[in-house]
Amino acid sequence: MRPVTKKWLFLKISSFILIPLMLWFIINFVSFYDKNYQEILKFLTTQPSKFLFSLFLIFAYFFSALSISEVFEDYIHDEKIKNAANKTLNIFAIFFPLITIIIIFNLSL
Amino acid sequence: MENNNPLSPHIQIYKWHVSSLVSIATRIAGIINILATTLICIWFSSLLFGESNYEIIKVFLQSFFGKFIAIGITWSFSFQILSEIRHLIMDLGYGFELKTTNITGMIVIIFSFIFTILIYLLGRQFI
Repeated sequence: MRPVTKKWLFLKISSFILIPLMLWFIINFVSFYDKNYQEILKFLTTQPSKFLFSLFLIFAYFFSALSISEVFEDYIHDEKIKNAANKTLNIFAIFFPLITIIIIFNLSL
Repeated sequence: MENNNPLSPHIQIYKWHVSSLVSIATRIAGIINILATTLICIWFSSLLFGESNYEIIKVFLQSFFGKFIAIGITWSFSFQILSEIRHLIMDLGYGFELKTTNITGMIVIIFSFIFTILIYLLGRQFI
């Protein structure tokens, strides 16, 4: 399989998984965004929200990294700048959700 | 290896259609959503510093501006959800006719607002 086909397939699979996770997250976000400290902590420290939010983060950053790299492909001509932009994007898309998930798993009521 | 792929023409070159508007808006909504998710992650991570530090964020989120941002994020997520569903249907080989792309594009735009209201009411437990 060609790398571009693989990338397209990953984009579509992650999009398919992300749709219900986005819906779940946004409904919950609306319900707790102005709530107090204890209520938000309760949301993040109980299951299944802890697991689903972690899953949402992994797929959201994976999907975004693939989508934004398409924008780089379309509009950045210089290969060196494009490679640097893609590497920065990939590092951010791996480490940022990972750190957040570690923090969430260390939160307690 | 030198990349000889042509670059996309910049967006001001195209004549605007519903489908191009939805396509560009999807990219913008995607970027807004990942920035919003990043800010939400920072907000959640700040919970580690304890309840006293959380008060400033709470006051901001309870303000008019905070509500405006929450509704804006809800619309942005709604738009991306509907647009991704449209893209997945098109990937299955349906809806490529010009008339159909315009209709589905309009459905995405109109229903993103209806969806925002429904999600907000559902989240706030009004329905």
